[in-house]
Amino acid sequence: MAGRGKLIAVIGDEDTCTGFLLGGIGELNKNRKPNFLVVEKDTSITEIEETFKSFLARSDIGIILINQFIAEMIRHAIDAHMQSIPAVLEIPSKEHPYDASKDSILRRAKGMFSAEDFR
Amino acid sequence: MGLDPVSVNMDQQLLRFMDQLETLEEKREKLNSLIEEGWFNISKARYSMGNKQVSSLQYANEMESLVCVHSSISEKGDVEFKCEQTELKTEDLKTSGTVENIGPADGGLRRRMNVKQKEPKEEYASKGQCETQPQGSIKSEKSLSQHQDPLKWFGILVPQNLKQAQAAFKEVITLSAEIATLQSAILATRMEMQAQIKEKHKICQGLKE
Repeated sequence: MAGRGKLIAVIGDEDTCTGFLLGGIGELNKNRKPNFLVVEKDTSITEIEETFKSFLARSDIGIILINQFIAEMIRHAIDAHMQSIPAVLEIPSKEHPYDASKDSILRRAKGMFSAEDFR
Repeated sequence: MGLDPVSVNMDQQLLRFMDQLETLEEKREKLNSLIEEGWFNISKARYSMGNKQVSSLQYANEMESLVCVHSSISEKGDVEFKCEQTELKTEDLKTSGTVENIGPADGGLRRRMNVKQKEPKEEYASKGQCETQPQGSIKSEKSLSQHQDPLKWFGILVPQNLKQAQAAFKEVITLSAEIATLQSAILATRMEMQAQIKEKHKICQGLKE
């Protein structure tokens, strides 16, 4: 493993995972648990959510990259994550372009403004 | 009276917040285009290699991360992520080293053809080199297996597109660390602004009373 830093995890479709693994982020730990999940047609939402939560619980993961359309499936779990580490980054997927209005972080940032605040 | 510094502070924070959002948007755009480029190259590679040659089935059984992120929390509470990529150059150097070692041995062989049988000692020396060199290359192969280039999962002679895809995704990884830092900074600024808004409300209520 490079240095003693944290890992980057990916939850995404096959091409997204393949690309990031080509980039060198893939790791199988001692328990042979990977830091990525390839979401296919038959992958259940429960499995995605469990994997996401297991990534959140792992202390060796610093950033979680997730396709936005998959993030939509487990939005409640992403919204509930308020800590800064691991950071959750929503990325586009082949068939679903990135939509900033759906991004949890931007929605949080947007939600702070109301007309009354600036009176 | 006490309202002005708070308002000025809030204005500054708001401007900073807007700047951060703008930077985030720019980086996001770049990230999206790089990912698209990566996918496009993967698809091209798949087209030339065959449909099943670039898929999750080719992933290695043993993987070790070549990338890691270092996180540091600032006083304000925002987290800075720094991406560190293990260069496979060390590997390249080792392989190039073996090539260089083979060079003189070849020279020795060539020389042996020209030289008369007057210098048996030199011949011995060159043979000795030839014998020791393969051991060196075995050692370097062992070290290679520890940090294997993911490109090799898909074959030894992979198309150029796959290499381009790898380069694009490496850049995406670096950029994603920057975006994560920026997102954290945005959330920290948001927290600060909310605190300032509360303070301003308190001062306003105090002035009314």
